[in-house]
Amino acid sequence: MMKNAILLFLLGLTGSSLIYIGCAKQPLDHLSADESRIYITDHDSAVNFSNYKTYSISDSVAVITNTNSTRELNELDQAYINAVKKYMGQMGYVLTNKNNNPDIGVDVSRIISTTTGVISYGDYWDYYNGYWDPYYWGFPGYDYYVPYAYSVYQVKQGAMSVDMLDLKDASDNNKINVIWTGLIRGSGIFDSTVADSQVKALFDQSPYLKTN
Amino acid sequence: MKKIKIMFAAICSLLFVTTSAKAQDGKLKLHLNYNYSIPVGGFNSDLVSNTSPRGFNGSLLYTFNNNWEGGLSIGYQDYYQKYGRSVYALSKTQDVSAVLSNSIQTTSALLTARFSPLNTGSVKPYIAVGAGVNIIDFRQYLGEFGSEQTNVGFLAQGGLGVTIPFGRLKTSGIDVGANYDYSPFNKYGYTDLNNVNAHVGVFFQVK
Repeated sequence: MMKNAILLFLLGLTGSSLIYIGCAKQPLDHLSADESRIYITDHDSAVNFSNYKTYSISDSVAVITNTNSTRELNELDQAYINAVKKYMGQMGYVLTNKNNNPDIGVDVSRIISTTTGVISYGDYWDYYNGYWDPYYWGFPGYDYYVPYAYSVYQVKQGAMSVDMLDLKDASDNNKINVIWTGLIRGSGIFDSTVADSQVKALFDQSPYLKTN
Repeated sequence: MKKIKIMFAAICSLLFVTTSAKAQDGKLKLHLNYNYSIPVGGFNSDLVSNTSPRGFNGSLLYTFNNNWEGGLSIGYQDYYQKYGRSVYALSKTQDVSAVLSNSIQTTSALLTARFSPLNTGSVKPYIAVGAGVNIIDFRQYLGEFGSEQTNVGFLAQGGLGVTIPFGRLKTSGIDVGANYDYSPFNKYGYTDLNNVNAHVGVFFQVK
């Protein structure tokens, strides 16, 4: 009798557990596409952005997969480039041709996961020369430098990245410092209609970028 | 904290000694309850302020005499909260803007003792104490990107309630009560999962 009681108790609890665990609220089921997105920014704390006045932006986007990278310019890419121009302007930076010695170079990258589904953001920086040859910015043979403060995080599914490069001090430093980076992740980011709001979010949380 | 653990360990020891000595005189009752939980303290301010209507508990209690019962209680509760978009500092220079979601499931196993001071009338009030373990499944999401950790912590419970027996033999009935759960959770900068919870359910004799 005692055994039956304990058995009944355990069976009841197991059944109830399964029902309730099944009824537990699943956070991902309660997120809209907008809510699913995150915007990560990082910057070189030693940099005073008011020392930079002009910038140039790449004329295409690096499309990075786990295995290689190419340069493309489709409607989506152009929408992101246009949005970056808009918000760089609002921060006080003046767009100039890359041949006019801009203080800052801006790269836009589209990161797409493929077979493994994971790209380490540390690897992203390790291979940056491959995506963006320093020659493009007029500094052949230079390396990029990313401050230690930049965290390593993994990219699954896909991301858009916007990076600001210190061209003004590249010759003095013998390297191109990455002074600001923004990463956009989440559902629906590869949609040209949302590009503006995605880039806006990056700049909104980086008020230190203002030139004055 | 140490005093509380020692106190409950003493209660549990006494419970087992008493059980062994008087098992032949007792009755075994199964309590099955719906549970509604209200996070308080650091749980409320730092993790989840939403109340949780998603819980249950079950107890198998042995009746030692007219005043004392004791046994095992198992409970489950699901907590969830989504916070609006905000910017969080990940480091001195790194920020993330995200909708933050906290999802916590607790599964507790407690040794419980109940004392009923009155045994006349149709309503039987009781006070209860319990202590045991709390298995905490903690998932936190920034947007759609989440992490999951499972921890086992200490849980102490104190509460009061009433049972309303049915029938001539009064071996089954309704159980209504409320508890305070003291549940330290010193992880990731958080302090506790303390909560006040109310239950309503049924009990019936199984032996």
